[in-house]
Amino acid sequence: MTDPVYSIRNLSVEYGTRDGRVVAVDDVSLDIRKREILGLVGESGCGKTTLGKAMLRMIQTPGRITGGELWFGGRDLMTLPAKEMQRLRGRHLSMVFQDPMTSLNPLEKIIDHIVETVRTHDPGASEAAARARARELATRLGILETRIEDYPHQFSGGMRQRIMIALALALNADVVVADEPTTALDVIVEAQFLDLLRELRDEFDLTIVIITHNIGVIAEVADRVAVMYAGRMTEVGAVNEFFGDTRHPYSQGLLQSVPNIDMKEPTLHTMQGSPPSLLYPPPGCRFHPRCPHAMEVCSVTNPTFAEVGSDHTAACWLYQDHADKQPLVRIRG
Amino acid sequence: MATTPARTEGHDDFKWKADLEGIGFVRRLLMARRWYRADWWFVAISTVMVVGFIVLALIPQVFAPFDPREQVGPRFLAPGERPDVEVLIASAASDITGVADLASEGRVSVAVVAGEPSSEAVRNEAERLTAEYRAQGLDVEIRLRIERYETLEEALAGVIAGDAVVAVGSFLAFADLADAFPELDQMGSVAPGTAAQSFTLGTNQIGQDVLSRLIWGTRVALIIGFTSSLFSLFIGVPLGLFAGFTGGKVDRVLSVLMDSLYAFPGLILAIAITAVLGPSIINVIVAIAVLYIPTYFRIVRGQTLSVKESLYVEAARSIGAKSRVILTRYIYPNVIPSVAIIFSVNVADAILTGAGLSFLGLGLDPSTPDWGIDLARGQETIQTAWWMITFPGTAVMLVVLAFTMMGEGLMEIFNPKLRER
Repeated sequence: MTDPVYSIRNLSVEYGTRDGRVVAVDDVSLDIRKREILGLVGESGCGKTTLGKAMLRMIQTPGRITGGELWFGGRDLMTLPAKEMQRLRGRHLSMVFQDPMTSLNPLEKIIDHIVETVRTHDPGASEAAARARARELATRLGILETRIEDYPHQFSGGMRQRIMIALALALNADVVVADEPTTALDVIVEAQFLDLLRELRDEFDLTIVIITHNIGVIAEVADRVAVMYAGRMTEVGAVNEFFGDTRHPYSQGLLQSVPNIDMKEPTLHTMQGSPPSLLYPPPGCRFHPRCPHAMEVCSVTNPTFAEVGSDHTAACWLYQDHADKQPLVRIRG
Repeated sequence: MATTPARTEGHDDFKWKADLEGIGFVRRLLMARRWYRADWWFVAISTVMVVGFIVLALIPQVFAPFDPREQVGPRFLAPGERPDVEVLIASAASDITGVADLASEGRVSVAVVAGEPSSEAVRNEAERLTAEYRAQGLDVEIRLRIERYETLEEALAGVIAGDAVVAVGSFLAFADLADAFPELDQMGSVAPGTAAQSFTLGTNQIGQDVLSRLIWGTRVALIIGFTSSLFSLFIGVPLGLFAGFTGGKVDRVLSVLMDSLYAFPGLILAIAITAVLGPSIINVIVAIAVLYIPTYFRIVRGQTLSVKESLYVEAARSIGAKSRVILTRYIYPNVIPSVAIIFSVNVADAILTGAGLSFLGLGLDPSTPDWGIDLARGQETIQTAWWMITFPGTAVMLVVLAFTMMGEGLMEIFNPKLRER
């Protein structure tokens, strides 16, 4: 097992809303290892994107990081001044956004995007050197050299997403957070893009965090999986372990809801209930109101992470000892 | 001509978008009617008008026939009307061109019509010239012997008979008789500076040429319009960018300030400012500029707020772009097109307010050739001299129309989506 390149320790992020505080990320810890592709999966509103942004300290008001540590390069990023943090972004940590159609400045040529990124971080770099780097990256990502003088609106969605990747890689970032990079793409382009990600990881020694709600993407590309539910981490494991021996009831539910070609049942499995409001999260384990295996303890105390296999941990009382493991008596109104 | 195929909405929409991308400004202008159903001639006409007004403002001396501040003719002359002035009439063969030529001949007999102002005019002029010569130390005296006749016809007959060297009479009366006396000719006016010529747009109550004042007035109007709009642009745009980008307390304070300025009745505010600052063109410009700062501020702030939230700004931040870079390369270029369009409309507005201020007698020196001042003067005599108020009024209307039309036309072509609303 390699050392983590980026460690999230007990991170909490809150949003102040009119109705009260929403804890979007609650006491999350996660290690990201060097040269891995980590898939961060969960349903809409579970805090995936917030976690990704928090990794770059890009949470803006009304959001706020309320606690925790972000260890990267031997330093806790939370202690860095804003100026230094900004220097780190792009150079060491980079982000690719969900919607490639609107992630590029419509008034700037593609090459200017890349040149600007290079020169922002290295004011000493000459215009010519920055342009050469832009050309090299574009070629590597399969964008014709003749097209880099074009404007974003002249490109298709898949090409724009590749341009976003080129921007993220312009300075050889160590860790790239890709926030739903394939959501706006069709399956063919998605497959090409995922192949490209893997190639780039091998070529540039990248560490990639892919945030997605599409468990198929994870299965396709990731080395490890981290599952989030209602602001908390529920299960983390190597991709083979996770799909072969899914432990957390939420992850099991997720996987069962994916349509399968060999499926015998006429109807698709659905999980009961809906995700809790983060304004009024349930006590104890946040999944317990929907969990088919819920026990008394689940409604009272939040489980901690425990080993459930080799390189596989889950936060669930099913795999931990506790005195009060009677099945939960549900009171239905 | 081929018949146009039936329009299919979906296809048309796609074509429209494909056309919009990858074409330049000139083609957009030319194809405006077909693509946006915006009328290109709307833009064309207003642009020609705007350019025309700008040329007039740059070189008024080329177009204006007279000095706008000088009295160049009789007062209250209607457009095209020939004035009645006292002229010297003498034998066509003589070389007399003015009263001064009558000097050194001893006593010169001058035929006048009794009861007309002619004798008085010619005597006054002779005395004035004599006094002038004395002042120069010359010993020259113009001595006249006035011969009185009952009618101009008799006076002219007297000149032909040799009883008088010249006759003095009304220009219009002589014009009627000229055919009867082919050997006589009009030699020039009695009083210098007054000519028997007509004025295209007439004269005002101090004998200034309305056309010349109109042409020179373009310069004042455009100076006020452009400089005050630029002034408010240079203050309003950075403030709007700053407020929108910074947000928080700064934004709130600036917005409240600008909104209260905006809520105040415009002309009254401008009157108050010019009243405090005193009359000068700079103060008028400042007053109008203050008036329009909130217009720019509000638009730029709003746009900044929306662009700031856009994904590409967030993406730029994620790759480490500095605030300064985000402001100058991402937000500013996306905000500036709408500023360019409101600038044009704003110039028209500022010209109107400027004319309003000088109409009320605030701000400008009364001798300035300005449309507002001319309007105020014309308004006093609107029942007897319609031309004094009509032409400056039309000029204000045309220039405002031109700038507004240009702004609106450009807006439709550059921002066709606005049309759909």
